[in-house]
Amino acid sequence: MTLHDARGYRDAVESALADGCRFAGLHASAGGAVVHAALLDPDGTMRLESVRTEESTAPTLVDVAPAANWDEREAHDLYGVRFDGHEPLRPLVDHDLALSHWTVPMRGDDAYQVVVGPIHAGVIESGHFRFHVVGDRILHLDARLFYKHRGLERAAEGHTLAEGARYVGRACAACSVANGLAYAHACEESLGLESPSELARARTLLLELERVWSHLNDIAAVCAGVGLAAGNNLFAALTERARRLNADLTGHRFLFGGVAVGGSSLDLDAHAVGDAREELEAIGREAARGWRELQFSASFQDRLPNIGVVSRDDVDRLGTVGPSARAAGVAIDVRSVSPLLDYAGFECRLPDRPDGDVRARLEQRALELEQSIEVALPLLDGPVRPVAAAPGAAESTIGVGLVESARGATLCVVERDADRLRRVRLRTGSYANWPSVAYAATDNLLPDFPLINKSFELCYACADR
Amino acid sequence: MSGTAAVATAAQLVGGIALAPLLPGLVQHWKARLQGRRGPTPLQPYRELRRLWGKSAVDVEGAGIVYRLAPSVAAGSIAVAVLLVPVASDAPDLGVGHDALVLAGLLALSRFAVAASSWEVANGFALMGASRDMTIAVFVEAALVLALAVAALVAGTTDLVQMIAGTAGSAAWSGPALALGALAFTLVVVAETGRQPVDNPDTHLELTMIHEGPLLEYAGRDLAQLQWAAAARHWLVLVLAAQVFLPHAADPRVQLALLPVVLVVLCGALALTETLVAKMRILLAPRLLGIAALAALLGIVAWLVEAT
Repeated sequence: MTLHDARGYRDAVESALADGCRFAGLHASAGGAVVHAALLDPDGTMRLESVRTEESTAPTLVDVAPAANWDEREAHDLYGVRFDGHEPLRPLVDHDLALSHWTVPMRGDDAYQVVVGPIHAGVIESGHFRFHVVGDRILHLDARLFYKHRGLERAAEGHTLAEGARYVGRACAACSVANGLAYAHACEESLGLESPSELARARTLLLELERVWSHLNDIAAVCAGVGLAAGNNLFAALTERARRLNADLTGHRFLFGGVAVGGSSLDLDAHAVGDAREELEAIGREAARGWRELQFSASFQDRLPNIGVVSRDDVDRLGTVGPSARAAGVAIDVRSVSPLLDYAGFECRLPDRPDGDVRARLEQRALELEQSIEVALPLLDGPVRPVAAAPGAAESTIGVGLVESARGATLCVVERDADRLRRVRLRTGSYANWPSVAYAATDNLLPDFPLINKSFELCYACADR
Repeated sequence: MSGTAAVATAAQLVGGIALAPLLPGLVQHWKARLQGRRGPTPLQPYRELRRLWGKSAVDVEGAGIVYRLAPSVAAGSIAVAVLLVPVASDAPDLGVGHDALVLAGLLALSRFAVAASSWEVANGFALMGASRDMTIAVFVEAALVLALAVAALVAGTTDLVQMIAGTAGSAAWSGPALALGALAFTLVVVAETGRQPVDNPDTHLELTMIHEGPLLEYAGRDLAQLQWAAAARHWLVLVLAAQVFLPHAADPRVQLALLPVVLVVLCGALALTETLVAKMRILLAPRLLGIAALAALLGIVAWLVEAT
């Protein structure tokens, strides 16, 4: 971590970006006295560039890294930091302000607004979408989330690092392992703990199990989005099998409590891993068969291309991460630069036609599902035993963890006083990608939006925290 | 009135008014079975109607006479259509005649009433659904009239009773005209019943709704009337499909005996397509119905060529 003055902070960030770093997150700390910007080097190392705020003001990064947009708005709403040059600084978490503060003004003939949510007519999380449309064509989408903002980060402050895992793990059910693991890695970096290979193996296994059920679920959701009952049912059934497998292995369908700071308590004997291998292979076979059948469903395939497009340039500009970025042909995956996990030789796969549309994102999920199972199967080769992280590295008061969740790079920054949390920030793949959803909706038809949204299948709780 | 005529009248009234909800019920039931779910019983629509009938309706703020009357006009015009569509070739006139073009007008009137109510209450989702419905209706109605025209040409009349008689037996199928009309009518059936690939009757997503959208503002008895009207639309188009556009016997007794079987088979076919086919892009729906209109036009051309 390097603490700069306002000028030096901008220069440091700009030079990091010029070196090929990607913006990975920004947050206010110490009650708004400091702002940390995290930048990810292509080789996987993380740089933290920090600035001390002057009169609660820090220079903005949105002009050089537009992906910082949400982060700066959040820092403003929750920590009162103003960002010099971020105009207009619309509210993000603060819902008290009038409509005109957070919507983009839209003028012209026949333009009107369609509002949906935050309460939806289905089992969908809370989010408010304000579409500016002409007829059925979307001009612009203002999304207002953070209805599920529970103040988890603030609530975790003052607790021990071990207790903090429960707060972070509960941010979202669908990404419990990824979030928990990013937190554990951040804590362990700060504590100077190293991951023995057995710990890396247990954690990689959990992370891939999470990805498997998540991707199965997302494929089912896209089928449901176009009313293809046959596809939805097949993949929903496979999702259920994957969750039951989770329950058999860890005692929890969503793998809650699987990740702890400083070690792993996962204990699987030869019998359990053998059964899990068989079941995982069977799920993979069934999924591959179902996927092949989807290729031949003309009415289904017809719905997917050329809608909700996020191009390569958009990915770089908006800071899109995860399958959505890879579907646009941008080969970024934290797993290929994760020395703390068991991903030796991992290379991310890209779809044949990386068009960044709904079809490409769906295909990317299918590719990754297959790859996840390939990664997970060898990890089940022998019994998994509880293991603890070993001390050995240098300690620091701040630690950073970065993990690839099913939705993209998830960053966790932990600051501590002795063994107490001083500040924890979780920036999930969903958080990074929500602006891309709003962007992807532009110029599409209103009835296609649910499908576009499902092709990203982001969590709300993960972003709202 | 002969015995078969009495049976035909009874079948028409009891079937169109009371048994109609069974048709969408059967589709839903089999759809669930095809998807590996137990699903609701085929009688579920009746339970829905009973529940809704027992509830009071809540009026939308600022709603006027158009909104108030729309459910009755929609259900009423469909009820008249039920009186108009015969189930066999010796069905007696029930006071409204049997003219095929009047049927097209009644279906349009029902649609118009619902769209007008959306216009009056100006709910965004209702209007969106209504405007989509009206856009698609232009093509549905054209296809419907053209398909009926094919059958009318083959039978030599627009009187539905005589059309049933005129398209019966194997002689009507000697040329391709009626087959093309049947193809067109199949797509009309899908659109008129609001089923996939044109509309998804099960969706809860307001943004994608077509037929469900305008219904969002109704509750209680109003909604019950509209749901019954949607069910009766199934009856109307499926009866026409069975007795005019599918091969059928010339003997009215055989027609009556086979009708329930054909209706059940057609419901099964609807359930099957809805399971296997995704909903299409909304702007492609007019193209699909355009194909229906084109097929019907070809049918007319085929008939003209044959006739000369």
